[in-house]
Amino acid sequence: METLARIEITALSVWFRESGLAFFGSLTLHSLAMALVVGINLAIAFRLLGIVPSFALKPLIRFYQMHWIAVILIFLSGLALLLAYPAKALTNPVFYAKFAMLSAGLMIASKLQNLIRTRPENELNSKTVKLIALASIIVWVGTITTGRFLAYTNSVLLASRFF
Amino acid sequence: MIELLSSFSKFTGIYTFMNSPWGWPTAESIHFLGLCLLIGCVGVFDLRMLGVGRGIGYLQMHKLVKIGVFGYCLNLTTGIMFLTTAPDQYLFNPAFQTKLLFMLVAGLNMFWFYASYSDQVKATEAATSVVEPAKIIAMLSLLCWMAVIICGRLITYFRPPYHWCWFC
Repeated sequence: METLARIEITALSVWFRESGLAFFGSLTLHSLAMALVVGINLAIAFRLLGIVPSFALKPLIRFYQMHWIAVILIFLSGLALLLAYPAKALTNPVFYAKFAMLSAGLMIASKLQNLIRTRPENELNSKTVKLIALASIIVWVGTITTGRFLAYTNSVLLASRFF
Repeated sequence: MIELLSSFSKFTGIYTFMNSPWGWPTAESIHFLGLCLLIGCVGVFDLRMLGVGRGIGYLQMHKLVKIGVFGYCLNLTTGIMFLTTAPDQYLFNPAFQTKLLFMLVAGLNMFWFYASYSDQVKATEAATSVVEPAKIIAMLSLLCWMAVIICGRLITYFRPPYHWCWFC
């Protein structure tokens, strides 16, 4: 807790917390990038599960370029939000659940991207690929849910109040 | 107006649900999921019209839009739940008003698309670009939904809104 309190009093942490634009900008960027990443992954998963009629999968690779740029934005904005309120997030188990879900989602995204790039189209209709796509949907819904619950489940807001 | 919305919320049980320990965050999660479906399906189709993913047929990709509409329905339902539970927090909030304005523009833009260029776009070859007005529609759609997300964040963030609201 003492370490978290020390982080909180650094100039950068104070700036992210108290500058309206820095905090709001990070929050908005996080939401926009998250919507894009989750949206693209859900669309690809729906296609792989056959929920939407088949269209060529290989050209979807181009959407992944945009996806990975958005992932970088998620991490940068997430880092800024974490720096603003480190104790609020790091003392909350839901934060770790979100992080685990997000990491799993990105690993699945990377796996699917690799499959789409390397396998012929007809092999992408296999049961294994469908299971991976289903796992992708579950994990992304979990990421969103834990992300929203994060704002309501914290027990500590500022660690520095304890010192 | 406030009384009417509150009565609706109480009569339908929305108020009780939203004031339960996990009611509000559950509705927020579904709201954001709906938004992701909208961005992932309608937004991806917009990006396709703007030239991303060349080679994917427009007609086939347009099938994704149905899921986007489902996402929009989730947004609308949960949005009504927020509004009717705490109408005074929304009706007078300029961020909410601006959000509704962008939703209206997005809706009109959609009507413009289906009334004029939809058939033409669906008939366009996968390797060919769509006509310029369709690209403008796609760009406008993306910008509107981004603005909706930004305004959605503003609703709870800036109160009072003097930091950003030039018309307040």
